[in-house]
Amino acid sequence: MAQPGLIYWKSEVNGVETVLSVSPSLRLIDLLRDKLELTGPKLSCGIGRCGACMVLLDGKPVNACLVMAYQCSGKRITTVEGISGQELHPIQQAFLTEGGFQCGYCTPGMIVTLKALLDENPSPSRGELEAGLCGNLCRCTGYGGIERAVRQFVKARSGTEPTTSGELAAGMDAH
Amino acid sequence: MRLSKSASDDRWHVRPDGVGKVTGELKYLTDMRLPGMLHGKVLRSPHPHAWILSIRTEKASRLPGVHAVITHEDVPGMNRFGIAFPDQPALCEDRVRYVGDAVAAVAAETEELAEYALGLIEVDYEPLPVIDSPEAGLDPAAPKLHPAGNVLHRTNYKRGDAEEAFSRCAYVVEGTYETPRQMHTYLETEGGLFVPEPHGRLTIYSATQHGFKDRMQLSRILGMPEACIRVVSSPIGGSFGGKDELNVQPYGALLALKSGKPVKMHNTRKESVRAGIKRHPMKIRMKTGIDGEGRIIAHQVRITADTGAYATLGAPVLNFATEHASGPYRIGHVDIEGISVYTNNGVSGEFRGFGGNQVVFAMEGQMDRLAEAAGIDPWQLRHINLRGMGDPGPFAQRIVQTDGARQVWASVAECALWSNRHDRSGRPEEPWLRIGTGAAITMHGAGLGFGIPDPAGGTLRLTADGKIQAAFGYEEFGQGLLASLELMLKDLFCCAAGDLEIVIGDTDRVPHSGSSTASRATSMMWMALQRMKGPFKSRLLGKASELTGLPAERLETGPGGVYEKGGEGPLVTYKEVAAACGEPLSTHTEFHYPTTPDAIMGAHYLYTYAAVCVKVMVNLLTGRVKVLDQYHAVAAGPVINPQGYLGQIEGGSVMALGFTLTEDALMDGGQYVTKNLDTYLIPTLSDIHERFELHAIEELPEGDSFGPRGVGEVGSVALAPAIVSAIHDATGVRIAKLPVSPEKLQRHFARILAGEGEEAS
Repeated sequence: MAQPGLIYWKSEVNGVETVLSVSPSLRLIDLLRDKLELTGPKLSCGIGRCGACMVLLDGKPVNACLVMAYQCSGKRITTVEGISGQELHPIQQAFLTEGGFQCGYCTPGMIVTLKALLDENPSPSRGELEAGLCGNLCRCTGYGGIERAVRQFVKARSGTEPTTSGELAAGMDAH
Repeated sequence: MRLSKSASDDRWHVRPDGVGKVTGELKYLTDMRLPGMLHGKVLRSPHPHAWILSIRTEKASRLPGVHAVITHEDVPGMNRFGIAFPDQPALCEDRVRYVGDAVAAVAAETEELAEYALGLIEVDYEPLPVIDSPEAGLDPAAPKLHPAGNVLHRTNYKRGDAEEAFSRCAYVVEGTYETPRQMHTYLETEGGLFVPEPHGRLTIYSATQHGFKDRMQLSRILGMPEACIRVVSSPIGGSFGGKDELNVQPYGALLALKSGKPVKMHNTRKESVRAGIKRHPMKIRMKTGIDGEGRIIAHQVRITADTGAYATLGAPVLNFATEHASGPYRIGHVDIEGISVYTNNGVSGEFRGFGGNQVVFAMEGQMDRLAEAAGIDPWQLRHINLRGMGDPGPFAQRIVQTDGARQVWASVAECALWSNRHDRSGRPEEPWLRIGTGAAITMHGAGLGFGIPDPAGGTLRLTADGKIQAAFGYEEFGQGLLASLELMLKDLFCCAAGDLEIVIGDTDRVPHSGSSTASRATSMMWMALQRMKGPFKSRLLGKASELTGLPAERLETGPGGVYEKGGEGPLVTYKEVAAACGEPLSTHTEFHYPTTPDAIMGAHYLYTYAAVCVKVMVNLLTGRVKVLDQYHAVAAGPVINPQGYLGQIEGGSVMALGFTLTEDALMDGGQYVTKNLDTYLIPTLSDIHERFELHAIEELPEGDSFGPRGVGEVGSVALAPAIVSAIHDATGVRIAKLPVSPEKLQRHFARILAGEGEEAS
């Protein structure tokens, strides 16, 4: 029974059924970080611009700073902590081997976004990758390592090597 | 070598802090929490400049759930901080000088309650005239922001007689260059956890680039001995110079001590923008002349820096800009003056490149203008003037010689991007798209420079459980320091990663080894290990010799323990060696960063060189510029950590891309117009192109004892002038103000599209 002013919040978080009594106006990011101590999702801009707080809501990437608790009750939530199983997810592995991070603060959001993007589109063009990552900022790597990680992941999964100006570059346009 | 994963073999290294970062398991200091902790918030000034007439905190203090409210009256020690010159109040007494100035702070049981309590604090202000530019600050009628007036610092460097030399020049160009208020935009905003401990101690978990410097400053503010304060300062979610100065630490510490409870602080992005330091905006006037052969014979520079409300590192940044304003060139007659002026525009401080970015943009712009005036190829003009082996530094000081300048120059001269710059094939057919190529070069000093204490050191120990422990007072803020250190230790001891224990970022556990700044940490770790490896190995092998009965000369360290040279499997494990030692086996070193023997304040001794070539596409309809291809040559000695080196140059160059094309923390009347990442635009993946080549030049002169030079900053310095040079190549338009304004370009291009010629200013 929820206390006055609070809602009964029930969701599946990283595969675990989770029940809380929370304020409906609580942001998902605060719920995850403060109530559940899942600090993988990071808080940076607070306005849905940087992507450091990205989580999956029923498999779709959303900014956890823009979603309220009441909006995600009853849904399936996956944070970066829920991406890997016994072993690292191949995207995480690719980030490690290619140097897809430096300070690492953007990395959880980046990996969550890429998981959703690559699940839906296993072989994105450069333009599709640009569109998919337009809401994820990284200040350290200059995106070089991130792009190499994606490339390596795509290559490992498809068994083919995208050429430098191949799949990932095909979407380059003259803007 | 062309730096890439495939060219690096097994030196391409998975970082020791990697798994925690990709899984989200790693706790940053802002992720920490403790049961019963409070949340701290700071009340900041709404006015860029005002008298404080009164502060009333009673209503906030009476609010249930509020455990501490503090003002300047609660600062037990010195109410000032500042890494070089402490003039910034922790909590303002009678006057505010910028919109980030702190007036009061609150610790409450929830963040919302703390925020609400801030609203109950009543402050009466009397607004004062706002100084919104250095020019306004220099007006004799302007109010004085500090007792000594509005000039923080002046620099002056003269060699020869520039005035007279200009009269002998065949070509003279003059330009005024302006650079923006760039924001570090580390993804992790400032914050941490502040914990009162038994026996009056205080533990601070908060990001900084120099834990001991924070501890010293906090000791002064809190009126507490340094030994009572422990600063834990890694891991950090990015800094780029922006967290070197104290930010939330004074408030978190004061609130924790007053409430007796742990206090968590974590700035919102808006507060980070408002209170945080920025790159110094500079206006640089340059007049440069060459003789008939293209030799620069006269160079006059006037630098005006907007240092904002408080000093922080404004003076050293201006010194650095003054030193680097002649680029890597031999010039007979030089006349440089710099001035750094207090204003009510935020606070400017340390930022990757440290003032070099601004003046190198100007100097390289001058080189292109001179080349055009004289009809000489711009890269050739640089070659004519480039400093060579044996030449002194920019202040005519003795420096450590390398051939870096010519190496990076030649690398760009030979690269395909530069060689093919006139090739018209493959260019877009759309008449509104233009392609151009440009290049620029820089030298960049490392370390703090002559006259500034710049200590270094480190400790090696064999721990009881058989780990080779390396302890350094440096910080991991993303640059890959842990990875570089692990690689260096594995090289020294031929051991496994599992034999190592690296301790950094904790003032209770590490020696003083100076700041993680000024591209110095890798160099200093390497030099410290060079000093420690002999004594440490000899004691370790000596002990192993006692245990095995074999002479130490026949022994060597390896994975898991000590081996007979060429033998298989360790004869004794490190743990067995440790157990046999009466006292823990340890070696310590302390030394000073190498400095020039010539007593010139701030002058550097070790320099890194870099040259950049870029190809850009300019859209004449939108005024937008896109970088299509980049070639970087960096001469910084041996590559320790290829992944880190490449990452630093790529990351630095994309940061410079933002500096060039989009980033400016705009201010109007002392208020930030740009408040968050929706209007302050840093590059995204779509702003970069996948073509990026890095030539790392490792060769050093024979006998060089200084080893690897840092590359943390140099990748961010020469890109801006290369891009504006390429824009000129594409369109004929010369840019002198950053960031490049699409609106302004559109106006130039309207004339080009109307067929009125391509020349514009």
